[in-house]
Amino acid sequence: MKKCLVINLDRCTGCDTCVVSCKFENKIPLGVYWNRVIPVGPFGDFPDLQQYWLPAQCQQCENAPCIEVCPTGASYRDENSNVVLIDKEKCIGCQTCIPACPYGVRMLNVDANIVEKCTLCNHLDETKEKPACVVTCCSGARFYGDLDDPESDASKELAKYDESCIHSLPDIGNGPTTRYILSPSIAEWQDVF
Amino acid sequence: MLGNKISRRSFVKTAAVAGIAAAAQVSLLDSFELTSAAYADSEPDVKVYKTMCHGCINYCAVKVTVKDGVAVRIVGDEDSGINKSSVCLKGLNQLHTLYSPRHVLHPMRHIERGTNKWETISWDEAIDLAATQITDAIKKYGPYSFFATGGGGGAYTGGMAYDYPFGYGSPNSFEPGGAQCFMPRANMAPLTYGGRPPSIADSFLNEPFKGDGSTKMLVLWGAQPSISQTALSGRGMADLRNGFGCKTVVVDPHFSPDAAKADVWLPLRPGTDTALVLCWWRYLIENKLYDEQFVKYWTNLPFLINPETRLPYLAEEVWPDYVNPAADPNEEFSTPAYVCFDNKTGAIAPFPFSAPEDSPVDPEIFCSAEVNGVEAKTAGQIYWEEAEPWTLDATAEYCWLKAEKIEEAIKLYAEAEVAGIAHGVATDQMRSSSEVPLGVNGLDMLMGYVNKPGSCLNLLSTQYKDRPTQWWDPFGMGRWCNATGVGWCTGKTEKWNRERVENFPDKDTQAQWWQRMEDRAGLKEHKGFLWQDNCHIPTMLKYIRSGEPYKPRVWYEFSGNKLAMLGNAQSWYDIRGEIDFCIQQYPNLTSFSFEFVDLFLPTEEWLEWTGSASILNKKFIFAPIIHLGETVHNEVPSRRILAKAKEKLDPWPVSDVFPVNRGSMTEKEIQDNTAKQFGAETMEELMADQDKFVPVVTPEDVYWKYYQHLDIVSDGLPAGFATESRKCEPYCTLLLRMSRTGFPFTYPYELPACQDYNPICVNILPVEDPTTDTEYPYVITSGRVPYFHHGTMRHAAFSRELYPAPKLHINPETAAECGVEDGDWVKVSSRRGSISAIALVTKTVAPRVLWMERFWNPEAFDDSQENPDGGWRQCNINVITDNFVDSDFDHPYNGPYGSYTLRGFTVKVEKGEKPANIWIEPKEFEPFLPTLTGEPNTGVVF
Repeated sequence: MKKCLVINLDRCTGCDTCVVSCKFENKIPLGVYWNRVIPVGPFGDFPDLQQYWLPAQCQQCENAPCIEVCPTGASYRDENSNVVLIDKEKCIGCQTCIPACPYGVRMLNVDANIVEKCTLCNHLDETKEKPACVVTCCSGARFYGDLDDPESDASKELAKYDESCIHSLPDIGNGPTTRYILSPSIAEWQDVF
Repeated sequence: MLGNKISRRSFVKTAAVAGIAAAAQVSLLDSFELTSAAYADSEPDVKVYKTMCHGCINYCAVKVTVKDGVAVRIVGDEDSGINKSSVCLKGLNQLHTLYSPRHVLHPMRHIERGTNKWETISWDEAIDLAATQITDAIKKYGPYSFFATGGGGGAYTGGMAYDYPFGYGSPNSFEPGGAQCFMPRANMAPLTYGGRPPSIADSFLNEPFKGDGSTKMLVLWGAQPSISQTALSGRGMADLRNGFGCKTVVVDPHFSPDAAKADVWLPLRPGTDTALVLCWWRYLIENKLYDEQFVKYWTNLPFLINPETRLPYLAEEVWPDYVNPAADPNEEFSTPAYVCFDNKTGAIAPFPFSAPEDSPVDPEIFCSAEVNGVEAKTAGQIYWEEAEPWTLDATAEYCWLKAEKIEEAIKLYAEAEVAGIAHGVATDQMRSSSEVPLGVNGLDMLMGYVNKPGSCLNLLSTQYKDRPTQWWDPFGMGRWCNATGVGWCTGKTEKWNRERVENFPDKDTQAQWWQRMEDRAGLKEHKGFLWQDNCHIPTMLKYIRSGEPYKPRVWYEFSGNKLAMLGNAQSWYDIRGEIDFCIQQYPNLTSFSFEFVDLFLPTEEWLEWTGSASILNKKFIFAPIIHLGETVHNEVPSRRILAKAKEKLDPWPVSDVFPVNRGSMTEKEIQDNTAKQFGAETMEELMADQDKFVPVVTPEDVYWKYYQHLDIVSDGLPAGFATESRKCEPYCTLLLRMSRTGFPFTYPYELPACQDYNPICVNILPVEDPTTDTEYPYVITSGRVPYFHHGTMRHAAFSRELYPAPKLHINPETAAECGVEDGDWVKVSSRRGSISAIALVTKTVAPRVLWMERFWNPEAFDDSQENPDGGWRQCNINVITDNFVDSDFDHPYNGPYGSYTLRGFTVKVEKGEKPANIWIEPKEFEPFLPTLTGEPNTGVVF
């Protein structure tokens, strides 16, 4: 089971709604973000420019380094959903996991002294509701589902595209599951991490 | 609807803090459920309501989850057709702004302007105070001492402000939009083809988003839907591009997200749009890419133009005995015959209206011919000669573009099966505000992209039984034409119009109405204002400042922050002492409240508000889901003040039949009238079963209609268009006639002539030119960011933590010239003043071009500030824009609409410092976080 997000960057316009809808849904304080949108570019020679926006959040790694380094077992893989999560009761705020994450998508909630990250809105009943960022996305760019299930929204969106349009963040053995769609006609994929 | 319930949680909290006495106090205002701590601990009461978001000028259908009386979640309504489940961060921010400590819940009197010290008063006191101040001024100085304003976003009030002053006999209202936003691009549609504006910056343009991909190619001219209306037209654009493969061209100095996704981006030099429009005209004509049949028979371009009058010759002027076969024997409908050069006979000939296949002539579009002994050109020839200098190379040099990119864009547009040009706000904010939409509408007409599936110039569900007609009064609604007997109906004969006004029974009202037109500020020069019932803003400022010819001195502001929204903000700040009394109604305090306002009337946020709007063929409701304190619907206080004023002033100074949007005395009336639009008797009935009533759906085969101009109507001819010629008028004859007399708005009266308004697009020079300005060598333009709409949401913590201060987009070359690095605070100066911004060194703009969002800072008057200020000087681009009240510049304003320049003026940039009283770090915005979620849901005030 590979539950994750598929994000179509051909559609994404970098509006930051996913950031804010995440904050409302998960009651995240000021200065803390479980996802961010990184503008990539513009690059090229004016006016022949390319630009895309890269929403970055937990990539649901298959070999998640955050789990390996966590001293208390707070970072764990949920046995039912196979999703990487943080047990807030066990987290002691040591922040060991923050540099371990290759993508810098974990943040310390100073008020609560725990590390937090995207949960794929696991508090919602997924048979009825998708993650908030997927629902509200203003360009219809975000898809959620199990990549092992060809009928999931995520799998169906990926299936529309050639392999040359499908990307992931750099893999240093951690096996990020999240996939990004970016067609060369929109922009050339850049390694920004 | 929760209006008459106090939430369990709130009640328990109130009782716990202040004891039963506090609860009893609440109960005097509201009925509420008595409850207990045990009940409060029970399962939460969760309901989901349908409503619409009013976070911007597009309205998305949304669903709102209310938990124990508190709105906790907003998502898009999948049923909406365009936004689907999308809702942008501006819409989501309602969960904060509704419960914000800045959301004012009770009427307040300013103890002293500029102090932010307020005294809470009752609504009865507030209404009496407002009515007293207005009527005292009218008694002492006459009705012209009163004026009203709107616009700037977030007040949910449009038309109210426009004509409210008429209720008191004053002719003057304005909004910072109007001439600078909406009116020029919107009015140009009825003027040129009698249809809907192809404006994507609001909800007028539906066709590309109807979900079948029939729009094969779309030009966004000065529009940025993915930023401005992110969840509606932004989502629509994403679906159009990605779902249907629609090609796009973006004309915008800034590399917006829509530009990043476009097939061709044309980053023209700000303020040079007219040259680029003429270049497109030239290329299409020179390369014969236009739709020749459509142009010949459905536009006025083949008409020969009298060089003296600049109007088309009528056939009867050349052949006095000519019998027009299309003339109405009953003399009700007007279908003139014109004069063309007939290719069949090689001579000039009468050109009567007919179906193309029945036409007696084959009209030449581009030629000159002798008419009545005078050499006359066709309208097409006049356009060609105006466009002729604008070759690809000449345009590229002038507009700072590449010739091959211009050509690629034009070819994409011309070679598409169906294309269209969608307007944005940008071109309204220059003195070429009429010429640009006139020119781009004309391009669609040249290409025959009219009334087709997928085209931007469309009539939607409009169908004609008779020759199409339209009234000439605000928004073409016929409201004041019918109420006052002033104004012309296009499509009807002169005889019919003359008899209508001569037979109008209430001569006193007719004369009074005309008098107010004649006396309105700036109308003699800018007569197009009559389409939106506005006056000319800089002229109004001069009247206030000088007292000549009269002095407006009591101000009713229906919206937010005039100091952030009006050009040359300092010039407005300087006249605050000339305003005897200032009333503002709005949900939250702004710089304007701080500096100007004496009496503040709290109005509702959109989750408290009632109204309706449509998305495609479905009508949705703005449902009153929450209600806090004593906020009121925006249409109630003005109505009550007018009623109170009438008690105080006898005789009343103005006709009671003036078409004034007076609003409603009670919120209940507004709610029930809205419910009736959905088939429910009352709002309670509707809210009890929203799914039964919402949305109201117009069948698709009724809503989506095309080719209406070809439908045969009562006179046996094709319907044509609701213009004077019954054809598309890219050569806009009404603009010429408007400049000379005020026709068609003022008929039968005449305003004095001013300089002719241009009937076609001509090149209009920008007011300031970076190619010759050595002191201020860069040109700046502006646009939106996704975090705010107009002046709204600067107090929304989740927007501000992401975008705490405006970013000045500056090209690396320019940054190096200025010694500026990415992230530096910079000082941006024009001849009007200086403001601060944070440099974003980026290629999103060309060298020498700058871009930034307007801004203001409500934190500047937060209680935590040691020396609070109004927050409009630090980062507000309108400190450096000009309204030309003190300029000797020749003709700085657009002709018909009086627009001044907010985009495309010159500046210089140097390193600067962070200004005082503004917040940057996320945690600093904590004082903006909600404090009112514990407030009870109260009943309506009135």
